[in-house]
Amino acid sequence: MSPSTPAYSLNPDTELMELLDRVANRDASALKALYEQTSSKLYGLAVRVVGNREWAEDVLQEAFMTIWRAAGDYRATLSPPMAWLGLIVRSRGLDFLRRRTADRSGVTQELDEVMAETLEGDSPNPMDTTNASQQAWALHQCMARLENRQREVVSLAYLRDLSHGELAEQLKLPLGTVKTWIRRGLEQLRTCMARFA
Amino acid sequence: MNLIQHPELLDKLAASYALGTLRSGARRRFETLAREQAPVRAAALIWQARIGSVAELQTQILPEPVVWTRIDNLVRADLERQAMRDAQAVSAPPSPGGWFRNLFVWRGAAAAGVAAAVMAMVVGVDQRTQLSTQIASLQTQLQSAPQIKYVAVLADGKADPSMLVTFDATNNKLLLQRVGGYQEASDKSLQLWALPPSGGPRSLGVLGTDKLLRLTAGEGDVHAVPTLAITLEPKGGVPIGSGPTGPVLFKGALIQKML
Repeated sequence: MSPSTPAYSLNPDTELMELLDRVANRDASALKALYEQTSSKLYGLAVRVVGNREWAEDVLQEAFMTIWRAAGDYRATLSPPMAWLGLIVRSRGLDFLRRRTADRSGVTQELDEVMAETLEGDSPNPMDTTNASQQAWALHQCMARLENRQREVVSLAYLRDLSHGELAEQLKLPLGTVKTWIRRGLEQLRTCMARFA
Repeated sequence: MNLIQHPELLDKLAASYALGTLRSGARRRFETLAREQAPVRAAALIWQARIGSVAELQTQILPEPVVWTRIDNLVRADLERQAMRDAQAVSAPPSPGGWFRNLFVWRGAAAAGVAAAVMAMVVGVDQRTQLSTQIASLQTQLQSAPQIKYVAVLADGKADPSMLVTFDATNNKLLLQRVGGYQEASDKSLQLWALPPSGGPRSLGVLGTDKLLRLTAGEGDVHAVPTLAITLEPKGGVPIGSGPTGPVLFKGALIQKML
């Protein structure tokens, strides 16, 4: 049993790392505890990557089975635990999208809940820092300075591994606009992040 | 060009590389440089970590409870498979004290214990490929169980074991254990037959629907019988004296314990 003293809640990383160590020892109750603590965060991420809640459920399931099998590799990555978990969800999500594209080549238009929201433009999309690592806090502060749509385009470029052209197509924006937003967004991030280095 | 002497350009390229918008030729050239020069590689890793944090900042959405149920089922199945493998690994090498220990265990638990151990070995593993090792291992175990004089694993046409049969000479009982998923229809019964080398099949009894079944039989019923078979018959089985009328579902050699 992991004690739930105030010290733990102050440092979510420590608690998550202890859970991951126990999952590495094939402790199913630790996986459940990890799920309870991170699944909302990771499901939100999966929805953003694949753009559909039902698909995101499959992605979340596959991600947790990867975590179950690969938790023993976590420590060697030297990553904050949420960063490692997020990386797994994103790659399972990208795998899902690739499989889907391969299965359904020719079918291009799917309802994409995320893109629809992004297209609305100025709706504020407050970033969520629950369980976020120190490194993510830094990025959060720098991203907060970007204009909403600029932040969205930068986020989607990474989360969905999209090129300028693909972003322009999916967001129905001129290619030049996308390129400018990305360039300026990255430039601002670079200057801002340098202060946290 | 030596990127290391242009730190700002290196930083820009590393950031675009990590974001994923550095594409095709430029991306390949950057990757080559990163492999060759540690500072370039370091810049790429720093930006991968920074950009990767985007994944940590997304809005939370509560998933449906069914997602955990599915994960939990898969994890349980995984743990069960592992327990099965561990059990097999333990039961495989016979230790010097094994015979005595087994004798003790078997005396206490009698045939039910044999069935349980066999059940643990047979169910849930890749049955087709491991069938022969299971039978061998089974025979080894049975040799230290004095009451059990015969054993048969009855399999279907695809060699999936479906029924384990043991004969307990002390109590004159045939013990049958269903190990496959087969379930006869409610208007049908399974019937066990001895197939002697000469003469027609002799009925050894009709099976109920329980997982574990006992039929009374003398040693004369199974002695020198090379094969047992199970047929699908009308409810209650065929009348005494007549031969099987339905198809043979499971069949297997009856092995006499060597001691």
